[in-house]
Amino acid sequence: MIEIREIGRQFNTRDGGTFEALKDVSFSVKDKEFFSIIGPSGCGKTTLLKMVAGLVRPTSGQIVIDGSPVSGPGNDRAMVFQHFVLLPWADILTNVGFGLEMRGLSRRESREAARPFLDRVGLTGFAEHYPHELSGGMQQRVGLARALAVSPDILLMDEPFGALDAQTRQLMQEDLMRIWDVEQKTVIFVTHSMDEAAYLSDRVLVMDTHPGKVREVLDVPLPRPRDEAVRTTPVFNELTSHMWHELRGMIGDPTAPAPE
Amino acid sequence: MRNMTRQNRNRLLSVIGLLAGLVLWEVIGRLELSPAFPPFSAVLAAVVEVWSSPRFLEALKESLISIAIALPPSIVLGVAIGLLIGRYRRVEWALDPLINTFLSLPLVALIPVLFLIFGLGRGSILATIVIYTFFIVVVNTAAGVKTTDPEIVEMARSFGAGEAHVMNRVILPSALPLTFAGIRIATGRAIRAVIIAEQVIGLIGLGGLVQRLGGAFAVEQLYAVVLFVGLFGLVSMEAVAIAERKALPWIIAQEETEPAFQGA
Ligand SMILES: Nc1ncnc2c1ncn2[C@@H]1O[C@H](COP(=O)(O)OP(=O)(O)OP(=O)(O)O)[C@@H](O)[C@H]1O
Ligand SMILES: [Mg+2]
Repeated sequence: MIEIREIGRQFNTRDGGTFEALKDVSFSVKDKEFFSIIGPSGCGKTTLLKMVAGLVRPTSGQIVIDGSPVSGPGNDRAMVFQHFVLLPWADILTNVGFGLEMRGLSRRESREAARPFLDRVGLTGFAEHYPHELSGGMQQRVGLARALAVSPDILLMDEPFGALDAQTRQLMQEDLMRIWDVEQKTVIFVTHSMDEAAYLSDRVLVMDTHPGKVREVLDVPLPRPRDEAVRTTPVFNELTSHMWHELRGMIGDPTAPAPE
Repeated sequence: MRNMTRQNRNRLLSVIGLLAGLVLWEVIGRLELSPAFPPFSAVLAAVVEVWSSPRFLEALKESLISIAIALPPSIVLGVAIGLLIGRYRRVEWALDPLINTFLSLPLVALIPVLFLIFGLGRGSILATIVIYTFFIVVVNTAAGVKTTDPEIVEMARSFGAGEAHVMNRVILPSALPLTFAGIRIATGRAIRAVIIAEQVIGLIGLGGLVQRLGGAFAVEQLYAVVLFVGLFGLVSMEAVAIAERKALPWIIAQEETEPAFQGA
């Protein structure tokens, strides 16, 4: 279980003051749960996720995973980044094995161990290609394979499909669902898309902004396994319009058309 | 296809320009205006004679030995210091003024000082090569480090990378394109440096040969040696560029990296 306990985070501003990015954030994520975080831009979603990853320290509060407080990156967690963040100078197999290499395997060992994960994301034939030769969707599959390769209990995903076009995005959502059904990992998934949050998640945290805090945590009472058909069910539509209602109030433009 | 033919046409223009220049050289040379201006055919004859003479080959060997001893360690040390300067603020603050000073100094003026320190022998030649090459590799490597994508560093950290892993597997490859640009320039400068230093001694190496030929007013032979040095510089720098393309397959598609600093 991941417990976020009264987390706060302040940043120093250029003029010497402090900026409160997150305040009193508390929630918990159960084992094997698919948990999404949605909220307006700048509300601290990335900061929160990086804290769970151990990359950013909270200025107050604590994050506790299975009873032990987070003090840095750990073998139990792996991150998938919005802009993929692949090594442009390394081929795909080395990229997928990079996490393993950072954890002490030799280059050769990590490349060998990476192979099945390349298969798992459907990129078997691309082992010796370079990232710039792949489409955005394929690059993000590499990012996902790299995270899966270190066999984490917890997958942290920061708007992983945000940079992809609508069709690719939908395909990636389905693939992620399939992989998650098999892998059974805890996932914390940051997104801007209400549709994506509802389709993928067991629960959705809606965040408020200035400073970032918890607005509400929604249950997604849709049966699994899910397919495209759930997107047209009344429950799904009720959920997304509820999220839209919540978020619209925060963004402060009541006339804005609903995205997607 | 269209571009290819345009490129070919441009090549053709270069060749025509070069030939016209040589013809002009030949014509003016034959007017016998000055002993400093022999006709091209005479220089060509000297090239055939000089480039195969034992005296030239012995001098070439001496110069190459000096470069082979001084350039590789200068590059290795330059890359190491450049990585540290680019990565660590404190090292940058400590060394930046020193390095910038050396880069803006007229290095020729320092050569007598080097001879004072290292004596009239190979030591001073090696030292000259080092001061001509080391700093240029340092600044270009440091500039290369600064091009590192901080997101990649963060990604590596998220997978548990320590500083050694970050340095080896993220910072160094990120810095390589500019580092190679620095090495390319350093190679050209090493050849210049060895000639300049050998000229001071006047006895060994191609620089010594240049000095002696100049002293004897053997103008055709002098030009033959200078021509060799120029061509040798071009070929060496091209060799580094080829090694660069081999080592950096991911930027083949892009243009050759322009160095951050060429130096004086
Ligand atoms: N290192 C930092 N220094 C100063 N301010 C920061 C830093 N990191 C984040 N912030 C600020 O904290 C706030 C939250 O940033 P964060 O990136 O977590 O938001 P986000 O919810 O992920 O936004 P988006 O949806 O646009 O990605 C922003 O106002 C941002 O400017
Ligand atoms: Mg973000």
